[in-house]
Amino acid sequence: MRRVALRGIRSHLGRFALSVLAVLLGVAFVAGTFSLRTMMSSTFGDLVETSMVGDAYVRGGEAVGSGEPTGPMGGQQRTRIPLDLVDELAAVDGVEAAIPDITGPIVLVGPDGTAVMSGGGAPSFALALHPDEPAAWVEAGRAPEGPDEVALESATLEASGFAVGDTTSVVLGDGVRQVEVVGEVGFGAPVAGATIVFLDVTTATEAYAADGTVATVAVHAAEGLDEQEVVRRVEQALGAGDVVDPAAVEVLTGEDVRAETRAEIESALGFVSTFLLVFAAIALFVGAFIIANTFQMIVRQRQRELAMLRALGASPTQVLASILGQAAVVGVLGSALGVGAGVALVAGLRALFASMGMELSGRIPVDGFTVLVSVLVGTVVSVVAAAVPARRAALTPPVEAMREEVVVADRASVLRAVAGGLLVVAGASAVLVAAFAPAGLAVDEPGPLLGAGAGAVVIGLLLLAPTLVPPALAVLAAPAVAALRPLGGLARGNVTRNPRRTASTSGALMIGMALVGAAAVIAASTQASTRTIVEEEATADFLLQSATLAVPDELVAQVAAIDGVERADALRVGSVTADGEGVSAIGVPAGLFGASLEVEVVDGDLASLADGRAAVQRQAAEDNDWAVGDALTVTGALGERDVVVGAVIDSRAVGVPLVLPQDSFAELVPAAEGAVQTLFVVAQDGVAASGLRDALTDVAAPYVVVSVMDREEFADELAAQVDQILVILYALLGLSIVIAVLGIVNTLALSIAERTREIGLLRAVGLGRLQLATVVTIESVLTAVLGTVLGVAVGAGLAATLPSVYEDEGLSTLVVPWSQLGVVLALAVVVGVLAAVWPAIRAARMDVLDAVSYE
Amino acid sequence: MRALGQDDAGRIAAARDLVKVYGRGEAQVRALDGLSVDLARGELTAIMGPSGSGKSTLMHCMAGLDTPTSGTVVVDGEDVGRMNQRRLTRLRRTRLGFVFQAFNLIPTLTAEENITLPLDIARTPVDRAWFDTVVDAVGLRDRLDHRPSELSGGQQQRVACARALVARPAVVFADEPTGNLDSRSSGEVLGFLRRSVDELGQSVVMVTHDPTAASYAHRVLFLADGRLVGELEEPTAEGVLDALRELGAGRRPADEPTAHGHADGRHAVVRP
Repeated sequence: MRRVALRGIRSHLGRFALSVLAVLLGVAFVAGTFSLRTMMSSTFGDLVETSMVGDAYVRGGEAVGSGEPTGPMGGQQRTRIPLDLVDELAAVDGVEAAIPDITGPIVLVGPDGTAVMSGGGAPSFALALHPDEPAAWVEAGRAPEGPDEVALESATLEASGFAVGDTTSVVLGDGVRQVEVVGEVGFGAPVAGATIVFLDVTTATEAYAADGTVATVAVHAAEGLDEQEVVRRVEQALGAGDVVDPAAVEVLTGEDVRAETRAEIESALGFVSTFLLVFAAIALFVGAFIIANTFQMIVRQRQRELAMLRALGASPTQVLASILGQAAVVGVLGSALGVGAGVALVAGLRALFASMGMELSGRIPVDGFTVLVSVLVGTVVSVVAAAVPARRAALTPPVEAMREEVVVADRASVLRAVAGGLLVVAGASAVLVAAFAPAGLAVDEPGPLLGAGAGAVVIGLLLLAPTLVPPALAVLAAPAVAALRPLGGLARGNVTRNPRRTASTSGALMIGMALVGAAAVIAASTQASTRTIVEEEATADFLLQSATLAVPDELVAQVAAIDGVERADALRVGSVTADGEGVSAIGVPAGLFGASLEVEVVDGDLASLADGRAAVQRQAAEDNDWAVGDALTVTGALGERDVVVGAVIDSRAVGVPLVLPQDSFAELVPAAEGAVQTLFVVAQDGVAASGLRDALTDVAAPYVVVSVMDREEFADELAAQVDQILVILYALLGLSIVIAVLGIVNTLALSIAERTREIGLLRAVGLGRLQLATVVTIESVLTAVLGTVLGVAVGAGLAATLPSVYEDEGLSTLVVPWSQLGVVLALAVVVGVLAAVWPAIRAARMDVLDAVSYE
Repeated sequence: MRALGQDDAGRIAAARDLVKVYGRGEAQVRALDGLSVDLARGELTAIMGPSGSGKSTLMHCMAGLDTPTSGTVVVDGEDVGRMNQRRLTRLRRTRLGFVFQAFNLIPTLTAEENITLPLDIARTPVDRAWFDTVVDAVGLRDRLDHRPSELSGGQQQRVACARALVARPAVVFADEPTGNLDSRSSGEVLGFLRRSVDELGQSVVMVTHDPTAASYAHRVLFLADGRLVGELEEPTAEGVLDALRELGAGRRPADEPTAHGHADGRHAVVRP
């Protein structure tokens, strides 16, 4: 039996080729994701190993904010410790150096006048180059001295195009300054595209630790001293000293901090790879449809052969095993090639990243785990997909071998249709309840219900599809049937004669298209909603934002000084803890509300927003039982403060729960962590917008990365960000759509082989080659359009309920981008035509006589 | 013999010195070995012969489905051998009708759609009067909107005959049209083919190895080893059987006056 199964694959290799390709693509995605993750994690792991070489670390004792890592190297925000601690630590017996971590954002202006930045969105920051720093050393030139000199990390120097001795300018938190590049500093590991500028300690301290606090101090001990011992000695010294309350600081061994950082990196990478694996899973799921279809058709074609084997004494189990064995061969072959393709993919990505200035670790890891998981996934998917056809093959009665004609009608199963129908109804009801339930019935957490409902609708539709195919195609095919007699009718007959096969072929496409439809509606609605929010709430004439997310304070002052500027309101964002709840907070100058932003006041008064008072968002107030008059204890990196809730507001433009007056904010959040995110500019009455705009642009120009936008442009900018995400989503969905198209090619090719005699007959009664190719093309287009129409309708329909559910989160407007969906549909027609090319040529090349007498 | 290509009211198709060789070297088979034949207009001609005698190959070559190795084929005054694929397709569409042994109908089309298929493909309007005549002749008026799977084998074959005639072809080629049918259905189909010649003025060429089927023909041609070895006018089933027996025994067909073949005594096996 094994020989029969293997010979079967060898002699019909072509039939399996597309199945192997489908497995290959899906597995390549999986293997690539794992491999990329390992490579990223080893890149960042190396970076941690080489840059965090302290034997012990001292840091604040209390975590601040929501616990999300925010620093350039990850790392949770904590209370800060005084810089004065350094001397005390350096004096500890056995400690050779105590180096404070003085760092902050910087913009390095490149030779072409634009900011030096890698394409991958890696951070750009400055570090103090301490003379005793063991993790970084001067490779060329010398260390920077004074405010007018910088050194660049080796990869940054190369990417920027500067040479040691060049002059340029940098933008620090406090302003622009002309500097000379005096040296190149090595870091011992690829820095993954980060732009790193080294300053001398005094300059960095002025820029980033002006308040006398830092996040951590690294302690480097003499050779041979155990890390635990260093920690013990440091703790003892802190207890004896009087600079800081020992309870307010935390001392950890270097290994603990490194492990913590590595864990943070792993969890961030884990999130990314989970995200990618979701799309890989979709691709594999779609691939499974192709495999199931292939085996279904092959089993059908081999019915007599299988019956003969049964007549010769093969047991049903043997037949089952032989089909599953073939599926396993397809799976293993596809997976093995897929692992190779995945590694090639990552190598390509690495080269691409490198060309964008993002150097990653040199090794492309192919570990046993990746190979094992990939091959296992590919094989299991193949075998499971072939299970149903294999079962049917096993149940072939031996008498089939004696029959003249094997007629197996793949009718839509009633049970399947009923189950699908129930699932669709249940899912749709769940979605409707989540979206439109009357207040009394309202569900606390509509999200999970909505998700489950949407999933049920999609799976239900996949089950129901064979029943839907004939009526749906009757409608879709009507134009072709009317316009191209008799070709349209022939094509419709071909796609409807086996509804289950057509359903699974277009179902594969439906899945990807449902996500495309949903993404398109969500993106368009988000863009429209943002635009509404900007129009309704932002009343300033201009907004300034920086690509580094930090508008320099110096620029804020310069803008305020421009003639014709009525107000320059700087909005700062930072993390704090309010009554034990980690939240994001904004710091605003008095009078911002009403002048630059117009928000709805639910309770209290915004005029009181000064002097130890705060405003909270309605949602946060409800969640935490905060009301006007309540006192909140707010903890920031710099300390603790009590504020009184002065107002409850409902604003979608202010995306954070807590609004603090600027002074209170500055007492809690250090300048380095609470940068100006947006600068609102209100013009004086009668000042021409264009003139003011020119003035603003002139002032902002030296800062390179600060853009000046009016409200319209600001809304466009936000919309463009949504579009960027949409492009990434489409690219990731692209693979599953490509696989689905392979599925159409596969089904067409196999069903043409099945219809050989019929095609011969048509040709004999005078059907021309071009006409035959047209029939095949119409079949292909119908299949593609069916999957697209169903998918887009389901995806867009489900997504259309989202604005009802997430109105409070700012998704207030429903927009269905009809023209975009129309383009998707037109694309489906093109895809259908492309998918038909090869099968149509094959069909047209068939010899009439061979075809008529084909057995 | 008359020159080919010249218009002749009495002749609908003709082959001259037809040779068809399959394979090479050791495996070479001469399916047609210099065969010449004239097929008369307005007649039902049956071609008989044992398996491997070349009868199917002859029909395929005459119908433009297969290309002879050498020799000429003229159908309705046109040289089939010189036609390219496009012209052959048009020839099949407009001048020829086909009835195969099995698998004659497109399963997704109704009986009526199957019948008008050649006209639809050619985008020629259906001549309703002729269509009615043909449909009534095959007796399928009440089955027109049925799918092939809802028709009996005999009914399917009658639909195929109607389809072959609906475009008023110059000649209908039928390849074992009753090979899959019981005797009663065979009778219906053959009766119709004969009527289509006698009453509707069509020309039909039929390959068969059933003497009863052959007895419906105006004329029977006997083939063996790729050559024409005998001919019988207005045959009866018995006459055909006798002729075959003669052939099988290596002798000339019994009815000497009409047979002008060159049976050379080679062994021929006739299957019932």
